[in-house]
Amino acid sequence: MWSRSEREWSGPLFDAHVHVGRSLFGLEQSVDDLLASMDGAGVTRAVIVPFKPPAYELGPENDRIARAVREHANRFHGFARVDPWQREGALAELRRAHRDLGLQGLYLHPSEEQFAANDELVFPLLAYLQEHGLPLLLAGGYPGYAHPSQVGDLARQFPEVTIIVTHGGQLNISGLLLGDAGQMLRAHPNLIMETSGIYRQDFIEDTVAELGAHRVLFGSNAPAMDQGFESLRVRLAHLSDTDKNAIAYGTMARILGILDDVRSG
Amino acid sequence: MIIDSHTHIDEAPAYGWFDPPEAIIRLMDEAGIERSVAMTYRDAPGPEERVIEYVAEAVQRYPDRLIGYARMNPRYGDEAVELFDRAIRDYGMRGLKLHPVTYVMHPASEPTLALVRHAASLGVPTLFHCGDEDFTLPLQIAEAAGAVPDARIILGHMGGYFHVRDAIRVARRYPNIILETSAMPYPRLIREAVDAIGAERVLFASDGPGCDPLLETEKVRRARLTPEQEEMLFHTNIERLLGDVV
Repeated sequence: MWSRSEREWSGPLFDAHVHVGRSLFGLEQSVDDLLASMDGAGVTRAVIVPFKPPAYELGPENDRIARAVREHANRFHGFARVDPWQREGALAELRRAHRDLGLQGLYLHPSEEQFAANDELVFPLLAYLQEHGLPLLLAGGYPGYAHPSQVGDLARQFPEVTIIVTHGGQLNISGLLLGDAGQMLRAHPNLIMETSGIYRQDFIEDTVAELGAHRVLFGSNAPAMDQGFESLRVRLAHLSDTDKNAIAYGTMARILGILDDVRSG
Repeated sequence: MIIDSHTHIDEAPAYGWFDPPEAIIRLMDEAGIERSVAMTYRDAPGPEERVIEYVAEAVQRYPDRLIGYARMNPRYGDEAVELFDRAIRDYGMRGLKLHPVTYVMHPASEPTLALVRHAASLGVPTLFHCGDEDFTLPLQIAEAAGAVPDARIILGHMGGYFHVRDAIRVARRYPNIILETSAMPYPRLIREAVDAIGAERVLFASDGPGCDPLLETEKVRRARLTPEQEEMLFHTNIERLLGDVV
């Protein structure tokens, strides 16, 4: 049995998955709301990404993300969002977001943008990420769009791209996808699972035991999910402080190449 | 005082399960949970014997900590109903658990309704797994609630990831439906359920030991309920449902 103090960990968190702006689907989060939430949950840094907006136009949302990063460079890192169905337009937007806006990765949501995670549509985008050493944050686990086998198939074809798959790559409350998600992570070392909304807590602990803490990182999917509650999946895990430090912060900092900056202050 | 309305105990090498009672007891201790409703992953009757006995023995070993539910397979027809009757009368089980995915049958199928009716006649609740896969959707289980209005039907996981709003809709429609919070990841939807149907019909549960009871209690505490509502979710509702057992 672990005592409460052995389970609780109060170190700083790097949230790999937060949305800013207003969503077509009724959610909203301003920069100020997010900063207040982060302060309350002990989250010192966050990767912020666009919602799918009511106007359907992702370009202005990428601008919004870049603006927030400029204004709060010590708290935020921005990833661009594009719709692969825009084809050449999607690649052009990714290039613009990277070169002109300075965004540091790509966020794709196969379910909301209605493409299979391993569809040929996304290959030019992944090739760009590979060429420039940028990571992909992928909304995982959505039936028909981002099943672990589809995410695994994408990871297999772009082994040099670091792919962070949200929700552990599986959204199934009876555990039917745990085996698939485990296979996916085992087979593709370039895949890292993010913890938001995950079923179940022992999947986090077992994955760390089997594959190492460098394959797991904290994300909240706020505001759809609750940043404070999601942080507890890491804070209260049956894991050592060293492992929690990696999941909570180190892995994301390493992916963005800022570990040294963080250490020096 | 906290009672967890849905946890698992089982040792079943054929399915790779090894969760002896001590696993959930340890997590209950960490979370400050006094008692838990416990059930197997396996159904009875079935190819494996001693499923009901397994739960009964665990309850005997931890009478102050565990409350047993019998997890049944309706495909066995009369045999299932008879065994369930003995599970309640002779083995001290206090409820019926059904997971339609394990026996691949619609929750409002006649053999299922026979078990649900029998549970109602014995005055014990029926807990259904209620997530996002076929045979477990809120609207499907609602057909059973409509067919057996005197049965008290608990929707475990209250619709999972994608069907929580459906779970709330059917709970508004059928007063014999009760929602249960385990594993569903949204604190705000617990609050939404309480606002929609009243705290009397929402239960705290963890689905431990796979899900973590301490984490699951924190989810309820972050649902912005009143202290009175929290008390209802954490223990008074399940105490009322189970009568004099707790």
